[in-house]
Amino acid sequence: MSQIDPEQIKVILATDCGSTTTKAILIEYIDGEYRQTQRGEAPTTVEKPFANVTAGVLNSVSEIGELAGRRLVDDDGHIISPATDSEGCDIYISTSSAGGGLQMMVAGVIAEMTAASAKRAALGAGSIVMDVIAANDGRRPHDQIQRIRDLRPDMILISGGTDGGTTDKVVQIAELVAPAKPQPRFGSSYEMPIIYAGNKEARDAISSVFNEEGFDLQIVDNLRPVLERENLGPARDKIHDIFLEHVMAQAPGYEQLMDWTGAPIMPTPGAVGDILQTVARLQGINVVGVDIGGATTDVFSVFDETFNRTVSANLGMSYSISNVCAEATMPNVLRWVPFDMDERELRNHVKNKMIRPTTIPQTREALMFEQAVAREALRLAYKQHKEFATTLKGVQQQRTVGDTFSQQTGGMTIVDNMKLNLLVASGGVLSHAPRMHQTAMLLIDAFEPEGVTMLAKDSIFMMPHLGVLASVHPKAAEQVFERDCLVYLGTCVCAKGTPKPGKICFKYELSGDCTESGEIGGGELKLIEMGMDDRATITLTPARGIDLGAGPGKKLEREVRGGTVGLILDGRGRPLVLPEDRAACQKTVQGWLDSLDVYAEEKEPVAV
Amino acid sequence: MGMTGMKYAVGLVLAVMVAWTTQSFAADITLAPPTDVTVEDVPNDVGTQMLVKWKASLDELNDASGARALEGYAIFRIVAQTGDGLESIGEQAANASEIGFPANFEFGNIQPIGSVSYGRTEFVDENVEAGTSYLYAVAATGPGDTFSPLAVAGMAVTAQMEYFNEGKFWFLIIMLTISSVIIGFVWYAKRGGEIKVRPIAGLEAVSEAVGRATEMGKPVLFVPGILDINDIQTVAGITVLANVAKTAAQYDAQLKVPTARSLVMTTARETVEAAYLGEGRPDAYNEDNIYYLTDEQFGYTAGVQGVMVREQPAACFYMGAFYAESLILAETANSIGAIQVAGTAMPSQLPFFVAACDYTLIGEEFFAASAYLSNDPEQLGSLKGQDIGKIIAAGLLVVGCTLATLAVTIDTWRGGRIAKLYIEDNILGDEGLVPNEDKVRVIDADIAAELESLSQQPHGGGGDS
Repeated sequence: MSQIDPEQIKVILATDCGSTTTKAILIEYIDGEYRQTQRGEAPTTVEKPFANVTAGVLNSVSEIGELAGRRLVDDDGHIISPATDSEGCDIYISTSSAGGGLQMMVAGVIAEMTAASAKRAALGAGSIVMDVIAANDGRRPHDQIQRIRDLRPDMILISGGTDGGTTDKVVQIAELVAPAKPQPRFGSSYEMPIIYAGNKEARDAISSVFNEEGFDLQIVDNLRPVLERENLGPARDKIHDIFLEHVMAQAPGYEQLMDWTGAPIMPTPGAVGDILQTVARLQGINVVGVDIGGATTDVFSVFDETFNRTVSANLGMSYSISNVCAEATMPNVLRWVPFDMDERELRNHVKNKMIRPTTIPQTREALMFEQAVAREALRLAYKQHKEFATTLKGVQQQRTVGDTFSQQTGGMTIVDNMKLNLLVASGGVLSHAPRMHQTAMLLIDAFEPEGVTMLAKDSIFMMPHLGVLASVHPKAAEQVFERDCLVYLGTCVCAKGTPKPGKICFKYELSGDCTESGEIGGGELKLIEMGMDDRATITLTPARGIDLGAGPGKKLEREVRGGTVGLILDGRGRPLVLPEDRAACQKTVQGWLDSLDVYAEEKEPVAV
Repeated sequence: MGMTGMKYAVGLVLAVMVAWTTQSFAADITLAPPTDVTVEDVPNDVGTQMLVKWKASLDELNDASGARALEGYAIFRIVAQTGDGLESIGEQAANASEIGFPANFEFGNIQPIGSVSYGRTEFVDENVEAGTSYLYAVAATGPGDTFSPLAVAGMAVTAQMEYFNEGKFWFLIIMLTISSVIIGFVWYAKRGGEIKVRPIAGLEAVSEAVGRATEMGKPVLFVPGILDINDIQTVAGITVLANVAKTAAQYDAQLKVPTARSLVMTTARETVEAAYLGEGRPDAYNEDNIYYLTDEQFGYTAGVQGVMVREQPAACFYMGAFYAESLILAETANSIGAIQVAGTAMPSQLPFFVAACDYTLIGEEFFAASAYLSNDPEQLGSLKGQDIGKIIAAGLLVVGCTLATLAVTIDTWRGGRIAKLYIEDNILGDEGLVPNEDKVRVIDADIAAELESLSQQPHGGGGDS
């Protein structure tokens, strides 16, 4: 792949090869800025009878070509590059999660230290972490060996020990992996890639352990050279390289696809993480992104330039919906539904959804129930994310005498909803909700943002494409992300604290494109219409003990933007508490839904 | 001079001294005796106290010139009847009624059991035996060991032992309340009730510190203080050691415990061995890692410092009683980059540990460690019950201080003054449940006088205008 001058790139073709659908988008340079102009999709063709991923790619690209009036595929079935006025593209890029994506096993000495860092590196690279082996994971060595043998990962990442630290324990971990001889998913002649990113003094010993057939040992810099610092970059890069060289090369048609692309193919979640990091860095904001699928829910966060990704493997809206109901419990799901529902009927609905994942709600009640499940799935996934996205453990603390009564341990979550600037949603239940108001309400109820937060959704799940684009043309990626990828729902202003019902929670005053002032009471929600291009300055005066971002009871002034929903003022307090009594809960939730006009009467649920 | 002459001279001197002493006791008695001597058994005691009261001598009362002839009072006692039967030091012991002080009482022959200075009219004899009857007499004393005639109490009084100290009734109420709360919480915890104990950072950090040592391939150092095993802080430290040893066994980290007392070493060895056994790692236990250094405070400190500098442990725990060595140890470990967790109940050392260590268990947290780590319902319930007791005590303290302040500020507020009296004398003192009526009357009289004086003052009328 030759290096392309970003200034010469005017037409960009991008595809995302998912497990079931291959999605293609066309980005063109129009009137001095990059815009996404067309999209097309076709079934993915990794499985038989085609057994060649490029067939699906060409089908989706052809659809775009027809829509755009631009010839993108030549008669030989190749993507035309470079672009002319009427045909071809300057660069073709792609992501892939076909065939289950990238599946990894990671290992480290201590589960909360080097093993956690290894997991972060693997997740950040876009993989699914099948298991974490550690010296203190509570399993006996023979159980660990059996587990490694049972798994069939695409690659294994081994870490452990600081540079100059323990050697014995790292070698012990390696000696669990080597005799287990884990078999890769693809290809019988394929050597299991082992990435070693641990104590540099143990490299020789590790090399001698894996000095046998069946392993392809790759050594990179220690991902935890000292306990005070993580160095995940080299391990992530190596994961990407191996993903391309080994995993993708084994998948049908990917070798040809790699020849077409102008940038390395990335795992889809890794690309989503990259675009969120790019946007957070360029705009200087903190971002949380969520992608809720049928089987899993991915949560991405960038707080103070620290990126984290988690995959909640059992939280999803179709294959995993039963697990969501079991984990959240039915009363917790039903608290979001403002009317009585027959629990037996609901259970049937849940099981139906699980065995027929493509079914969509046919009635308003079914839609409300499904969105109630989505709230709980998102809430649980975000909770798991908060537990994972933490400061480093095992780090020395600096104290003063003033800390006598306020000592905190390491490993505190870095996810702070008050510092969150942008919350991005994607995934069927969020992206294809009949009304944008429902998406906004789902996000607010599940994530409980605090202070002033922008809400947006990924219009056509374009983030993976832009993630790869960010690696070759960050400016184009940011422009398309801002203008075409995100559909801004609006801004929410949420009070943190415990406002008293009937008493004033905060006062607001808007000036700019929208002029209004008023008060929000405790437990109250209010929607102010603000168009997509509207901007306003909001002055907020919270009641005593209520925090809107400047501290409890302190006045705040912020710029807010409108969106398809508008400006949402939330005086319900944080953490969000719903009444225990079922009747009172229904009444409260109905009041909230009415405030935001979430399920407008004239808008019947439509197919998603 | 021969020996006979010497003996004669000594005998002569002694004879002169005896004659002089007798003369002084038999000096002219010019002082008026005290009157109305009464004796009563001190209530609510174990029978070891008697209260003797009298009315002051006329010489004390009549003195107006400032040249006081009376210096104080001497109290004399004779045993009238023991618990076993009649016994007397009186001359006539034919029957109990005849027991008493002899008419020609020689002050020089019997030492008084106590004396008080003038102005005081009562004396508590704290050296009596329960069940024994005593007869008391009081004499006024003047300069040059002169005495007034004896004023003898009207009757002998027997010292009584009470099984219940009614004066401490409030103590009983408070004790029963706190005990009930503790029992209640223990019962609640045993039945599966959830007892929430706030996270203690220092104990939560044990796994983090041991994990750090494991990752860095360095040992964990545990210092159990410098006092012996009979000190409660050392015992609490050993409890934490069990948890550290358990974590070290799980992580396969090397644990070193230098001790300053041989008994602590033995206890620590048994504790660590049990922890390794519990984790199924008896092979990893090495008793040589738990060793005795010296009893000497700074010898021990120097020894531990040497271990730190030579072996560079990645995690150091200080759990027990510490004195001046606290900062020396903590600073040394800080300089080698170790995570440090300290726990002590020595208030003077806590600031040093807080400033120099990563985590510090302060006082109560240290003692709560056992319940926190074991999650045992009995210990958790007890811990919670004690917390409630402390809350009650703190509440009473606040209420008492408020009332006492108001009572002093508003001295005509009867309720406040009586409440203050009640807290001081009944709840905190020995008056029992019922307030002392005499003192209440004094307060009433005081308030009446205060109000009277206020009513006699001219009204301000808001100024000249």
